[in-house]
Amino acid sequence: MFLSFISRQPVKNTTAKKPSPGTDPARPATAGEPLLEKSRLSCRHLDVFYGAKQALHDISIDFSGNQVTSLIGPSGCGKSTFLRCLNRMNETIDICRVSGEIKLDGEDINRPEVDVVLLRARVGMVFQKPNPFPKSIRENVAYGPRIHGLARHRDEIDMIVETSLTRAGLWDEVKDRLDEPGTGLSGGQQQRLCIARTIAVSPEVILMDEPCSALDPIATARIEDLIGELKENFTIIIVTHSMQQASRVSQRTAFFHLGHLVEVGSTEAVFTTPRHHLTEEYITGRFG
Amino acid sequence: MNQNSRPQTVSTAAIVAAGLRKRYRAEKRFRRLGIGAVILSLGFLLLLFGNILSQGLPAFRQTEIALEIEFTPRLITADPARGNYRALARQALQRAFPKVRKRRAKKELYRLLSNGAAFELRRMVLADPALVGTDRRCWLPADDLVDNFLKNPESGKKRLSPRQLAWLSQLHNQGRLALRFNRFFFTRGDSRDPEMAGILGALCGSIFTLLVTLALSFPLGIASALYLEEFAGRNAFADFLEVNINNLAAVPSIIFGLLGLAVFINLFGLPRSAPLVGGLALSLMTMPTIIIAGRAALKAVPPSIREAALGIGASKVQTVFHHVLPLALPGMLTGTIIGMARALGETAPLLMIGMVAFIVDIPRSLSAPATVLPVQIYLWADSPERAFVAKTSAAIIVLLAFLILMNAGAVVLRKKFERKW
Repeated sequence: MFLSFISRQPVKNTTAKKPSPGTDPARPATAGEPLLEKSRLSCRHLDVFYGAKQALHDISIDFSGNQVTSLIGPSGCGKSTFLRCLNRMNETIDICRVSGEIKLDGEDINRPEVDVVLLRARVGMVFQKPNPFPKSIRENVAYGPRIHGLARHRDEIDMIVETSLTRAGLWDEVKDRLDEPGTGLSGGQQQRLCIARTIAVSPEVILMDEPCSALDPIATARIEDLIGELKENFTIIIVTHSMQQASRVSQRTAFFHLGHLVEVGSTEAVFTTPRHHLTEEYITGRFG
Repeated sequence: MNQNSRPQTVSTAAIVAAGLRKRYRAEKRFRRLGIGAVILSLGFLLLLFGNILSQGLPAFRQTEIALEIEFTPRLITADPARGNYRALARQALQRAFPKVRKRRAKKELYRLLSNGAAFELRRMVLADPALVGTDRRCWLPADDLVDNFLKNPESGKKRLSPRQLAWLSQLHNQGRLALRFNRFFFTRGDSRDPEMAGILGALCGSIFTLLVTLALSFPLGIASALYLEEFAGRNAFADFLEVNINNLAAVPSIIFGLLGLAVFINLFGLPRSAPLVGGLALSLMTMPTIIIAGRAALKAVPPSIREAALGIGASKVQTVFHHVLPLALPGMLTGTIIGMARALGETAPLLMIGMVAFIVDIPRSLSAPATVLPVQIYLWADSPERAFVAKTSAAIIVLLAFLILMNAGAVVLRKKFERKW
């Protein structure tokens, strides 16, 4: 009786802890080079569940600093879910459960003692739909630095507002109307305002969740140029539906399919010599 | 037989065209029905307003008699508060009609003036002590029978004696009898004499009661809505609370009155008939409405705003108070207006806690005995004197005006908080 109780424990543990990639024959191991020797952000054996449904299966991937990594894959493959794990935004969804390890500069961000406010100040996020606050342009950018206490005086805040808007390529367009509502800008300007708002906090990593999907081609081109400039100072991870965009802006590409990380590699390698047949079929447009 | 077997020669356009007229007819029918419903309800509203206004407007004017008052120091005495002002008024009537000598005739003469005339004279002397010793013409309130006679001469004259009618016509010819603006209605509390009964007491009672209600139910309601919607999360306890709040909003109001009687008066020993207790009972009734409206307003705030704030590292509380609450506030205010309007019109719970008493004094504090506008309407509607019929309608007009004023204020507030972008 007692022994049988003990013997049940390891069984439970194996269901909770996922085996490493390759041990489960039903699950394809990630092709390419998901792991790097030097990385800013690294995930190991990440599983995400929405209630009983598993959305991500055993994701292991590294991200290196000062480069753009794009996450591609068909709709519903879990790339946005994965992105939202990196700054613990999934915590806002009640039924979402995350297990596995995500390390930012060697520190596991999912440990309970890690402060989520601090984490999000280090890992900023730009969303799919431009979502400026219904406040003035100045307030939109100044809000982050203000709540984090990065600047106290009006002069300092004005400095941050100006540099952030300049880096986001928006300063010349809005410098004369900083007190007008941010929601009065065009879609592309709003998205650049949201980027300015994110970089105003000086994060280390910027997560972008399809930042151009609601924008026209010209606005998209501006944001893409901006991403190219921002990678000098930030680690950028971008989810995109457009493979052209992925090939234009990113140095590394990760392909997700049905909750599995199928292939990771340099953008050039993934697009020219994909190793996995799913990757090849997706980028040649046979499905997706 | 089925639709696929129709000949291919009939095009889709022809089929659609054949059904078009029927569709448009249905549309027109529905539009007419809607317009009819609006006209019907507007008609009833106009009927109601017309009826109330036609009955209530005469009460805003009051018959007054101008008399030469000699402010005799002997009658006013050393302490003006205790002077014999009734004698002062009678002396003036005697002066106006010196031929009236007989005791019965004098009694009839005195009855032309309201009992309130003496109070009015007292008020004048207390307000301006320099009046003592002077001699001046004053407009004093007439009795409600005289008032009624001036407003409805045909039915009114049956209640007056021929002698009184003769005196009145004499006063009228001298220009000493007139319908003037009813200042007593807006400056006095309730009275047994209809000509002296005013609405100010009930109005103050209503304002105090609503202040207590607002001060309690608004912050508590908003805080509860915020907690339940933003912080509590979804669990069995939250569901249990939600069901109970919804039930609470549907509880008949008299139950809250019973609760107020049992808890606030009997258990806590708070004074009965007081706006404080009335406000407490009404806030129990108003709070669920505010909570439900507040939660709906919070739910309507787009999640993208929450994500934006959380995404740059705002804490939960910062997100809620900097971004979510300002956007939800207009909706919350709407709910509060609805709740307060209901509280303003509520009678039943106040009957249970004794706010139905006959109260002459104008309440000056939250614990002074008071009544409220709807209760005052109920009390006057129950009074036998004819003049109270008009007073009842006039009180309804005041209640409606108060309601409109309150709502207008709330709309202005809401407009101020509403973000235009």
